[in-house]
Formats: sequence, C-alpha cells, structure tokens
Amino acid sequence: MAQPVIMPKQGQSVESCIITEWHKKKGDKVSKGDILFSYETDKASFDEEAPIDGILLDVFFEEGDDVPCLLNVCVIGEEGESTDEFNPNLQGDSSAAQAESADAERKESTDDSGTQAAEAADGEAVSDKADVEIVTDAKEIKISPRAKNLAEKLGIDYRYAKASGPYGRIIEQDILALRDSGYVMTPSAQAAQAGGLEGITGTGLGGRITTADLETPVRPAAAASPVQAVAAAGATSIDEWLVVEPEYEEVKVPRIRKVIANAMHQSLATTAQLTLNTSFDATELLAYRKKLKESMDRLGINNITINDMILFAVSRTLVNHKDLNAHFLGDTVKYFRNVNLGNAVDTERGLMVPTIFNANLLSLNEISIRARKLADECRTGSINPDFLKNGSFTVTNLGTLDIESFTPVLNPPQTGILGVNNIVQRAREVNGEIEFYPAMGLSLTFDHRAIDGAPAARFLKELKTNLENFSVLLAR
Amino acid sequence: MIYELIVIGGGPAGYLAAERAGHAGLSTLLIEKRSLGGVCLNEGCIPSKALLYSAKIADNARDGAKYGVEAGNVALNHPVVIKRKNKVVSKLVAGVNAKMKKNKVTVVKGEAYILGPGPEGYKVKAGDSIYEGRRLLIATGSNPIILPLPGVKEGLESGFVLTNREILDLEEVPARLVIVGGGVIGLEMASYYRSAGSEVTVIEMLDHIAGPTDSEISDILLKNYEKKGIQFKLNAKVTKLEGNSAVYESKGETFKIEADKVLLSIGRRPATEGLGLENIGVELDRGRIKVDDQCRTNVPGVYAAGDVNGKSMLAHTAYRESEVAVNNMLGKKDIMRYNAIASVIYTNPEVAGVGETEATAKEKGIEYEVAKLPMMYSGRYMAENEGGDGICKVLIDKKHKKLIGLHMIGNYASEIIYGAALMIEMEMRVDDVKELVFPHPTVSEIIRETIFEF
Repeated sequence: MAQPVIMPKQGQSVESCIITEWHKKKGDKVSKGDILFSYETDKASFDEEAPIDGILLDVFFEEGDDVPCLLNVCVIGEEGESTDEFNPNLQGDSSAAQAESADAERKESTDDSGTQAAEAADGEAVSDKADVEIVTDAKEIKISPRAKNLAEKLGIDYRYAKASGPYGRIIEQDILALRDSGYVMTPSAQAAQAGGLEGITGTGLGGRITTADLETPVRPAAAASPVQAVAAAGATSIDEWLVVEPEYEEVKVPRIRKVIANAMHQSLATTAQLTLNTSFDATELLAYRKKLKESMDRLGINNITINDMILFAVSRTLVNHKDLNAHFLGDTVKYFRNVNLGNAVDTERGLMVPTIFNANLLSLNEISIRARKLADECRTGSINPDFLKNGSFTVTNLGTLDIESFTPVLNPPQTGILGVNNIVQRAREVNGEIEFYPAMGLSLTFDHRAIDGAPAARFLKELKTNLENFSVLLAR
Repeated sequence: MIYELIVIGGGPAGYLAAERAGHAGLSTLLIEKRSLGGVCLNEGCIPSKALLYSAKIADNARDGAKYGVEAGNVALNHPVVIKRKNKVVSKLVAGVNAKMKKNKVTVVKGEAYILGPGPEGYKVKAGDSIYEGRRLLIATGSNPIILPLPGVKEGLESGFVLTNREILDLEEVPARLVIVGGGVIGLEMASYYRSAGSEVTVIEMLDHIAGPTDSEISDILLKNYEKKGIQFKLNAKVTKLEGNSAVYESKGETFKIEADKVLLSIGRRPATEGLGLENIGVELDRGRIKVDDQCRTNVPGVYAAGDVNGKSMLAHTAYRESEVAVNNMLGKKDIMRYNAIASVIYTNPEVAGVGETEATAKEKGIEYEVAKLPMMYSGRYMAENEGGDGICKVLIDKKHKKLIGLHMIGNYASEIIYGAALMIEMEMRVDDVKELVFPHPTVSEIIRETIFEF
C-alpha cells in the first residue's frame, strides 16, 4: 500500500518549507530511516526520513520549491502502484487549493500536464532521445530556477540537459549530470574535481575547466593583466577603459539572510535606538569562572562561560527594570513577568537568536546548559523555530572577537539589547597608587520611545554592580 | 574616416586579424611595408617548405636503390627550384590579397608610424597619409638578429653574409655554406643546401642543436644530418667573418673555416623599433611588447599579436593570438593558451613536438612519467623508412594521468602532431587516448602504441 510523505509542520508559525536537497530520486529503493530530502524554514533546516521500506514511487516537488506544510511531497510504495491519488498537483480537492500558494511556475506546468506527464511516464526513453536532439527554442524548455542558476554559473548550455524532473522539467541534478558528462570540463579536470565549482573560471578549450583552473580557483584576471591607464593615452576614448563584462558571482540571497535583512532594517527604521557604553571590573567574575572550571567535573556542572554568567546576571537584574524586559507596541507596552532571554548565536547560515525562557527562574548551571544546547541546535539547523521568538530582552557577545565597544541593533518590539565586549587591562588609581584591573565592556542599546536615558543607565549600573559582586548575586 | 581597427603588419598575425575583424564588420585598415603574408609567406615557412620538398624528392631519388628504384644521376636544378618556390609564394600572396578584399579590409602599402593619441583613437602615419583608428593591433613581427661582429656588416653588403631572406633567393648553390646557429631556420637550410650539393657546416654555440627540442630527439637528428655529410661545430662561437671565411672559438681554441656564403640564423628579435610605440606609451619588456593573455598591451585599445610580443614566435601562435585579440575587441572573452602549441622542424626526417619536454617538466617541478618507442613499431613507418631510427616519446603527468608532452622524429611527424596537441589541449588522460581509434596503417599509430606503454 503506497504511503505519502508530507511536508511536516515545524512549529506553530511555520506555513511552508523549502526543499533544499533530495537525497533520493524517483525510482530509488528506500529503507525506513533513510533521509529522503532536506528542507528548511526561515530559520532552521531539517531532514525528512523515510517512514517505511519501499520504492520512492513519485516526487511531487523538487529542490527549491516552497511546499506548504502538510502537503504530500512524495510517495513510497511497491513497484507499479499508482500515485495519482496523492499528487497535490493533480487533485482538484482541498489540497490542490492549498497548493496554490506554491510557486506559480509549477502550476503552469500542471496546466499542460497532458502531454508532459505522458512523456515523463516513460522516463528513460524520452531522455535518451533528448541526448541527440537539441531543442533550439528556449521557450519550450522547462527548467527550475535553481537549475538555471547553476547552469549559468557553470557556463553550461542547459539545452543539452536530460530532464528528469516532474513534467519534463530540467532540475539541478540534470545540470550536474551534464557537467559530469564532460561538456564543460576536460577529462582530467573531471577526474580530479572533488569540490564545488563555484568561482572557477574555465580557461581551457571552449571555456572548459582544466586541471589548472581547479588548482587556482579564482583566476587573478586583474593581477595578470598589465592593463593600466597611461598618461600618454589620456586623450583617447575613455570607453576603451570599460570592462565590458566585470567578473562577479551572483548568488541568491538565502531565506535566512532575507529575514535578517528585513528585521535589521525594520529595527533601525521604526525605533529610536541609542547605545550606552560602560565597563565593569571583571576580577571577581574571572576568579569565579576559574574556580568553577577547576571543580567542573567534581561538581558535575556544565562548563560555565563568562557569557553564561552575564546571562545569569542580566536575568536577575532585568527583574528590577521592567521597561527593558518589555515589548513596546506603540499604543501599548507588554511587560513580561519573567525574563525570556534571547542569546545571539553566530551560525554559518547567519545570526540566530534562540530564547532561554524564564531565565530569571533558572540556576546558573541551568542557564549554561540551555544556552549551549540551543546554540548547538542553531548551528546544526535543527532548532525548533518556536525557540526563535518571544524573547523579551537580548544579549549579544562580540567580546570573543576582540570588540571593545559596539552598537547592537534592537530586536523590536524588544526595548533593549545588551552587547558584551572583550576584557582589556585598564589602570585606575587606588589610594594614590596605580593598579591594573580587567575591565569588561558593556554596550546597551535601548529604545528611547520606551525608556529614557537615566533609567537605562540605572539598569546598566545595577548590572555592573551585580557583575562586580557576582558571588553576592549568587547568594541572593 | 576613423577606422575601428588599424593593423600594423601584414604577416600571419596581421592579415588574419584584419580578415577576422573585417568579417565581423569592423572597418579595418591593414598597413604592410613589403608584401602581404609577412616573413612566413614570403621569406620563411612557406618558401622554405617549397625548397625542402624539392630536396626531399632528390633525397628519395638518390636513396631509391634501397627500395628497388634506381634513378641514375639525380640532379637538383636549383634555379628551377627557386622559380617554383616563387610561384608558390606569389599564388599564396595573391590569395591573402583576395581575402582582404573579400572582407573589405583596406590595405595600404607603406611603413607605419604611430604619431600618438588622436581625438577618437590613435593616429598612424603610412606613406604621406595619416590614418586614425579606435584600436590598434601591432603585428610587426620580428627581424633576424644580426651579430655585431667584425665583418658582418660588410659581409651583408657584399652578399657574403645572408639572412633567411636572401638565402631563399640565392641564384647559385654555394659550394661551401657556413651556417651560424643550429636552430630551426639553420637546420632547414642546412638540409636543403646539403641536398642541393653544398658542403655545409653548422656552428652552434650550445652543446646541442634544434634549441628547445627534446635532447634525445635532437641527438638523433644530429646523427641523421652527420650521415648526410653535414658538419657540426657545437659549443662553438663565431668571433669574426673575414674575406671568405668565418672564425670561431671552441674550447679556448680558435678555428677558421672557409666559406662561399654564411647564413646568420641565431634567432629573431621582435620588431618594435621605429614604430612610434613610445608616442602612446606601449610598455616593452626586453624589446618585446608586453601583453596579457587577451593580447592587450598596457594601453587601452592597443593589442599586440605574433612575434612582436615575443611569446612563442611561431606563425600558428600568431594566428591564434590575432584571433584572441580580435575576439576581445569584439567583446567576446577569449584567452591565449600556450601549453599545447606544437613546434615542427621540416627537416628530413621531420621533427615535431608539443607540450612539455623532460627538461621543461623538470624545471616546472611536474611529476611525470615517460614512455618511448622506436617509430619502427608503426608498420607504415617500417614500410617506408629503410633504416629509419625515429622515436616517439610521450610524457604524462603522474597526478592526473594526463598527456602533457609528445615528441617525435620521423617523417609525417609534422602532420601527426596536431592530434597530440588536441589531446593536450583537451587534457585527455592516458585512458582516454587508449579509447581512440587510429587509422591503420599510419605512422600516427605510434602514438597509440606508445600510450599503451603506460
């Protein structure tokens, strides 16, 4: 009995997900637990596993498609079973209506599915014909945007590709297959090629990629060229100095980057934010951390970092400063009872801010454990999206990257964000003597619409006191 | 009128660039001071091949007995050979002229001089007229290097000393010919004049002949030449020419050798002087015009192709460079690759090679493997070369198992070598070449045989 695999709903707020990669193709044998495809939301990525053993009978969406949650993505079953009943692109019922939100181009191909689907049905035979025959009218060629981008990047004439996607559409793997068939690379380069081809310019015959191109990924066109303006030629037509085709690589902005871009711009455009800078004596903090580190195993506690300690101090201090543990919504302000502390995490895919809920009720060890786990999940892309919202205040740390002071950008409607800086040795006068102490910088950005400068400064001052007397804070 | 392109020099680089540019619709002016076709067509590649073919027929006829053909007294009639050579050249020059006409290229005869930048490009004087072009292609080629030795200047004036130009038009075969420089030109002329009856002596400064040719192959060539009766003085340096003799030094001793004619063939130098390049600031590097891999000079809109950029000094390199230059002018990105340019010596036997030799591979630190076979492994070669001692040598890159060099000595090598160039240009691996089918019986099969040694 054939069984459809749906696009899971990852978190309450997620409406659709993008398929980033298919690990199996139509016709492949799959075993329960095999990864079928990878997909991503705005903020995280996931792998979907095969729920049963069988043959991957049909695939309804391809890489790059934005698939509404709970819609059938593919079907697993026994050879010969019909899959039409599961195909959201063919059904006229509610799930087809749901599919309307999917990209318009795919719908278009559904419209003329009559002939195309028939062709796709006898798969190989059709593809073999395409091998000898070059379709010259570009309008007739169905190609996914992703495949088209890749073809352009690799300098591949996609008209030569054998379409293996639904409805005779050329998809990414077809372009990769075409590349591997040697149209763009010399045989030696093909054999030697291991990684991706991004940024590689083919300098061989007909623009083929050679082994030398693989070894020097980016051709130093500018450096190799002795072209430079010469005074004697100053009077000649300046048009000649134009680089007709400047070299660049155009990359689509990933979804997560778009989300960040939007959020950052919104923040600066809609709030009245400014930053206060101060520093505190980190002597006690460092001493306490050293002590913890020494007895970490004995006490069975997490490896507690300076940042964990700051999160702890912030969660305790914010309780007394409700204006900074709030959402400013224009007409109303939401003051949070507990501190839902956002902790900015730098990941390969971009900035992510998981929330440690009710941080003010957690012990230092608990905060440390949660901060570590959430950060790890952000980095692997497996974070539940619901953890990426509802923060009431945020801490962001650039101190590990040697930043002495910066202006963090608010995450509205939050009213405050604390930037943590590095530790520098600073001199001060004590009883007529100069002494050095480790000073750690703090940069607080707040929304002046919600809170004035003095109360914001008071929060910083209290935080500073708490951090300088960390053991007292722990005792409270 | 302002030309979109002015080409200076009508040799292989210049005339082909003009042809391609004209075909693409650029209004093109070609300035040549002598005759279209340049050195290649008028006093180089082509005329020497006409001569060498006559020599080859004579050699074969004299050698016929080995093959059961007796021709009695074989005489090479030098004036007739020269006459036929002139006919070949004039036909080909006419062909180039026709191509210019067909592609609407304006051809001006005269010496070009770049005056400087103009309002819309560059001003070039030729004869009494001044032309303006938006772009320039410098394709002035090269001149033979004349040694500043005592007696050379006088010798050139009296006709005792010759360059490649004069030697192709000698009315009589000199009884004693001394050739200074055992490179391609020297060896080809040695081959012809020996077959035509001269006593030939080649004086070479290095310890081997044929310049950068694979050393094993140049040794075989040397032995073949010596068998023909050509004398070689290696490690020898000519110090002066006097009366009817050349004086040279070798291993600290001075020798004197009598000669009726002396050919200077020690090399060629890019022709960059007297062109007015300094008026637009074209950068030179040791007398060569500096270009990038798109054949652009440092001055916007000014390109240089062929011998004048000193990169490889071969007509076929010039052809390709001129196309690269024109493509870039037309906005089509094209780059020049020099790793698969074949070089050929049209001696008897022929020598041809492409890509790395063992010496250059070592110099570049490439890890390579070599395989070589006697040409006798080819049935066709065996059938046609009684006592032939040719070899074929293949170099592969160890890392990629791809072909990086192929060198051979034996007749037909000149016609076979392009196949090897293609293999190198395509970075074919040993396994790829093994799948190719070579026609049987041909000498080219030696490539297949040698490849299967890996």
